[in-house]
Amino acid sequence: VINMNYIVSMLLMVMGLYCILQKENLLKIVMGLGILDNGLNLLLISTGYRRNGLAPILSGPDKKLMMVDPIPQALTLTSIVIGVCVTALALAIIVKVNEHYHSISAHEIRRLQG
Amino acid sequence: MKTELPIYIIIIPFAAAFILSCLAKLRPRYRKFLVLLATGIPMALTFFMLEPVRKGVILSYWLGNWQPLNGWAIGIGMAVDPLSLFMAVIIGVSTFLSGVYSFRYLENDHGVSKYYTLFLLLTGAMFAFVFSADLFNMYVFLEVMTVAAISLTIFREHKSGAIEAGFKYLITGTIGSSLVLLGVILLYSATGTLNLAQIGMKAADWNHPVVIFAFASLLTGFGVKGFLVPLHTWPPDAHMSAPSSISMILSGVLSKTGVYALIRVLYFVFQAMHLPAVQMLVIVWGVLTMVVGVIMALLQHDFKRLLAFHSVSQIGYIITALGLGTIFGATAGLYHLLNHVLFKCLLFLAAGAVLYRTHTTNLSELGGLVRKMPWTFTFFTVGAFSISGIPPFNGFASKWMIYKATAATGFYPVTMIAILVSTLTLASFVKVLYSAFLRKPTALVANISEAPFSMLLPMGLLSVGCIITGLFPEAVIEKVLSPVAGSLFVPGQYYAALFGHSFLNIGPTFSLPVFWQPLVWLLTFFLILVGLLFFVKLSKAGPLKSAGSLSNESGTVFTGGESAANSNPGADDLYWGLKHVFAPLFNWLRKAHSGVINDYAGWIVWTVVIVNLYLLIAL
Repeated sequence: VINMNYIVSMLLMVMGLYCILQKENLLKIVMGLGILDNGLNLLLISTGYRRNGLAPILSGPDKKLMMVDPIPQALTLTSIVIGVCVTALALAIIVKVNEHYHSISAHEIRRLQG
Repeated sequence: MKTELPIYIIIIPFAAAFILSCLAKLRPRYRKFLVLLATGIPMALTFFMLEPVRKGVILSYWLGNWQPLNGWAIGIGMAVDPLSLFMAVIIGVSTFLSGVYSFRYLENDHGVSKYYTLFLLLTGAMFAFVFSADLFNMYVFLEVMTVAAISLTIFREHKSGAIEAGFKYLITGTIGSSLVLLGVILLYSATGTLNLAQIGMKAADWNHPVVIFAFASLLTGFGVKGFLVPLHTWPPDAHMSAPSSISMILSGVLSKTGVYALIRVLYFVFQAMHLPAVQMLVIVWGVLTMVVGVIMALLQHDFKRLLAFHSVSQIGYIITALGLGTIFGATAGLYHLLNHVLFKCLLFLAAGAVLYRTHTTNLSELGGLVRKMPWTFTFFTVGAFSISGIPPFNGFASKWMIYKATAATGFYPVTMIAILVSTLTLASFVKVLYSAFLRKPTALVANISEAPFSMLLPMGLLSVGCIITGLFPEAVIEKVLSPVAGSLFVPGQYYAALFGHSFLNIGPTFSLPVFWQPLVWLLTFFLILVGLLFFVKLSKAGPLKSAGSLSNESGTVFTGGESAANSNPGADDLYWGLKHVFAPLFNWLRKAHSGVINDYAGWIVWTVVIVNLYLLIAL
């Protein structure tokens, strides 16, 4: 069985890291963070998946063994919210970076070094 | 009542942060009062927990009273064991002192109410981080801490350095948190639980590659927060640019939460410290951290940046001692952790007092402050002697224990390196004492006066702390450190506190998802990651503009004739000879800290790959 979602999440994470490690543009670095985050979220939600699983509602007859795992779903929501906060903060900082340096190139934002 | 204390300690700062953000127009006097309450009450509440925990009770609490079902955790647990309480007391006292100090320090800044909102968020998140017994909860509070700390770093947004430091902190910090999350996901998929104790119970069969990958990710991710070399690139920038009351928290306390998490992971979740391979990894990591930190510190001529690199170096001592895996080593490490909080907070506050009066932290511009700020000088000297390990101050006692602990386990080279690093630390602080305080006054410091009382008070208290913990090491070890260090080696008590004593034969009451085939996936991910790293390494465009080499000119030192009486060597000239001899190494290290965020991010990914490879091979 080809587990497509795991492969995709892996690709997303590597692509995100590629952006962070390779791109000069700060905006693209932040996009890389977002992609990395989405890869992690996909991995997280996939760990709870179960073939032909039911929605995790405990009120009916005992379906416990056929449910998908509800915990990763809650975790993924939390993780998405955190990702949004971080992205918003990063974009706000980039605006300020541009005001101070008149550039958003990682190779020029390096007054602090050594 | 006692078991609910942790939740109050967490709620009070968060609630106060919310109230403050609603009442932005509050009069400064009431705001200060509110901040004092919101940091003082949690501090007092941590003291109330001392008594039961000292008697060996581990306070546990299930949020929303979701008790474990058939011995399986279904809610979020919190547990206060000696280690958590030790950290909580440190956090409580430091944040309180930082709050007191910041009242005068920030009087000329805009948006002070936002500062205190973020400050209280940071406080609450740190408390929650050390009390949490749930791995995902730790990740969430790690992120709250990071976001609040970044926002506080860029609080003085008119400084370009603050913005730059904030951005770099954000990228490196978020990659670190992402690695923590990756570790959490992999552990959850392997064990089906997020509770620290429950993961720990299943640690017996942790030789699986998935679990090793999770282990490496968690170590690297928390290493970013505890700034181990080469994950140490954000603290110098951030400590240098943040307001000093925050530099103190970042360096003194936030880094210790990273160390705390490493202890939890190493000693409790994986119980890995009896494995020689893991011990070796942690010790080598610690030694690397202390050496690189102190070398970079020698090259600095900014007051706060220098202190930040010394933090890196001192964290190396703590990690090395904890990596020995003996109870003596753990005691020494925790002792140095406590001492580092005391003297590093003190040093940053002193640097802040200098900055507050002179508006600069450049050592080449300062000079002769001893006459203008005698109290600040006294307190700074106490801190400087403590960090350099001069008796009778506390740094000596803990470093002496670390030397003995490393020698006792046969790591003689580590002992030698630790002593050498201590010498270099002293050299570096002689430079600061000389350049900022003792040499002839420069024009800049002509019209300044002593720092105000509310800033001197926290410094004075911390100085007293440095001297007391240095004069009575036996008492500190017996009353404080032994219970904490002892608890590291009986993780069973921690599990029992959460799940009762019948915890050993517990399995999940439902089957775990079978869809997950981690091994193939991980192998592919790992190979592609290594490929990516080499691709990035090879495809880097030509060399960047140099970060500036050390010049071989000896500056203005004049050694003969009458001018010698008037020479006033600058901060850069003092150790010219040393720098000249080691110029290739120093230049290489300085160039490596290029300031390019891509490189720093790359170091983190390299670290996780190398740690993972090492563990896969060694275990």
